[in-house]
Amino acid sequence: MTKEPIDLWIERHEKDPEAELKEKTERFLRAAQLKVPDRVPVAGVGGDFLCRYTGITWYDMSYNLEKIPGAVLKFVHDFPSDWSIIFAPMLLEGFVFALAFADYPDFSNTIRFLCGPVHDILKDKWSQWPGREIKEDMHPQFRGGEFMKPEEYGKFIEDPVEFIHDTILPRACPGLGEPGSSRWNAAWIRVGMTMQKIGAFQAQLFGELIKRGNAAFPITNAYTPADVIGDFLRYPTGAMLDMRRTPRDFKAACDALVEHILKVATAVPPAPPATFFFIPLHLNEMLPPKLYGEFYWPQLKKIIEVLVSKGYKGFVFFEGDHSPHVDTILELPKGWGIAWFERPRDFVAVWEKLKGHTTVMGGVPVSLIASGTPKQIDEYIKNLMVKIKPEGGFVLSPGVNELPADTPVANVRAYINAALKYGAY
Amino acid sequence: MSMLDELLRAVLDLSEGKALELTKKLVESGEDPLKILDCVRAAADEIGKKFEKGEYFVADLVMAGEILKGISEIVTPKLREAGKKRKAVGKLLIGTVEGDIHDIGKNIVITMAEASGFEVVDLGVDVPPEKFVEAIKQHNPDIVGLSGLLTLAIDSMKKTVDAIKAAGLRDKVKIIIGGGRVDEYVKEYTGADAWASDAATGIRIMIKLMEEKRGG
Repeated sequence: MTKEPIDLWIERHEKDPEAELKEKTERFLRAAQLKVPDRVPVAGVGGDFLCRYTGITWYDMSYNLEKIPGAVLKFVHDFPSDWSIIFAPMLLEGFVFALAFADYPDFSNTIRFLCGPVHDILKDKWSQWPGREIKEDMHPQFRGGEFMKPEEYGKFIEDPVEFIHDTILPRACPGLGEPGSSRWNAAWIRVGMTMQKIGAFQAQLFGELIKRGNAAFPITNAYTPADVIGDFLRYPTGAMLDMRRTPRDFKAACDALVEHILKVATAVPPAPPATFFFIPLHLNEMLPPKLYGEFYWPQLKKIIEVLVSKGYKGFVFFEGDHSPHVDTILELPKGWGIAWFERPRDFVAVWEKLKGHTTVMGGVPVSLIASGTPKQIDEYIKNLMVKIKPEGGFVLSPGVNELPADTPVANVRAYINAALKYGAY
Repeated sequence: MSMLDELLRAVLDLSEGKALELTKKLVESGEDPLKILDCVRAAADEIGKKFEKGEYFVADLVMAGEILKGISEIVTPKLREAGKKRKAVGKLLIGTVEGDIHDIGKNIVITMAEASGFEVVDLGVDVPPEKFVEAIKQHNPDIVGLSGLLTLAIDSMKKTVDAIKAAGLRDKVKIIIGGGRVDEYVKEYTGADAWASDAATGIRIMIKLMEEKRGG
């Protein structure tokens, strides 16, 4: 059988992982600095496809720490990438917990994501986990919910952190009981013990990944204030209605959240060569420019600007079709960071607008990898590279890094092969 | 401008308070409830068009949906009192497919479909293929809507279409898939009849499917 580019890349990982690590780190950093690397970096994939390929369930991925390293290491060996987001164990949105403890930088960032074992302690209603509320082979899911009434904005604005801690957490997390009760204290002690165990597990796994030639960068976390309200307090539709029904309250609540989000983000000090702050956007594409410009972007922009001025680099996931709001990104300082676009209606048009100012990530529809043919994928990426490559500052990636379980292995290989074949500068 | 025109204007301006106030006035003045619901249908149609043109966004659909729901809640009891019934455009059976518990998109479709005159049967979230099959037998819908947000929904949509085929019901219904991650590739892959990544397009396609059905 003839070896494909991906096979040769796997062999290079096996022979000299240290050289691979060095190359990948430099490649990715150059792209993040808007420079031309030796080759367009290709981002990794995972999701249901990882579970199917390695034969583990979502329950295992969430709770069974013994089974995770074998699966993850096999997966990244067989499907190498320049940089990959790996949630091991699986994590879901949990920024509200970081906010509840925003004044404690020694651990606020540690509980920014929610994992299954912590969900078991808190019994939070925001998320559902395999082998718990949903079946063992089902993807853990963030559902959100309404835990604040519109008439409570006033109290929230007065002190968002205390309101989240004292009022929202007891409503959303039956496992905690009343603030200050022995149940409450015991639950948080258990969360601490659990996070210590998971932190140690992650440190070991990431050490192993790096040893095998996988690049990793320190990451801190921030959030858009309007998404805090939509995801954790009022449900997305509630937040959208509040922007119209109680605009002054909504805006004041967003403004009040900025400093606390910054406290969480800066809890991890920036370290060379780059510390990225991750912000996933949720309401963005759903808002008309008028609402986006009033209730979403000003606060998000402030957060990005402050963090960039402190020496961090941005890594922002623009969910959905962000095209109507792309121009606003140009208001940020040049080289502020990486913008990952899920499914802009015209990716190349977004690229044309942002090239030389923002590192752009994405370009490959998930549906193409999931349901196209290897030939279609090859041609698509070949054409895309012709349009994009000359400038630098580009990272090839699917719109999201999660692929469906039934994605053909040959398609994922075709995606990586195409990056290796057509990505060299 | 007639009060019905004013109502249409208020809905399109997303002026919730004004629209509901006008509806109450219309009802009190003895306006035919069916005419008010026709106005709701016209508004839904216009809102859909604005969305497709990029003038409206999801947040606008959500607001418009709330307003249209509010109007229906005022008018429907009057309709019942008058012993009248609105003729449905068609019957839509809808659910979020197995493995996915997200319902924002599905609920927007339901609100807009009802405003457009569809009778809607909502199966909820995480609906297994066999439940869709059972519900088709029970409710005999014209259109089956498969909704999903996560990438895993692509597989579940395919399994659901396959199950409908295996049950011998494929020719009885039109199947439309909807969600942020569906497109032409996914439509081909799942064997659905149509796809939409937003509610407005979905409603337009469903109305067209019903016209085709009536036309032969």
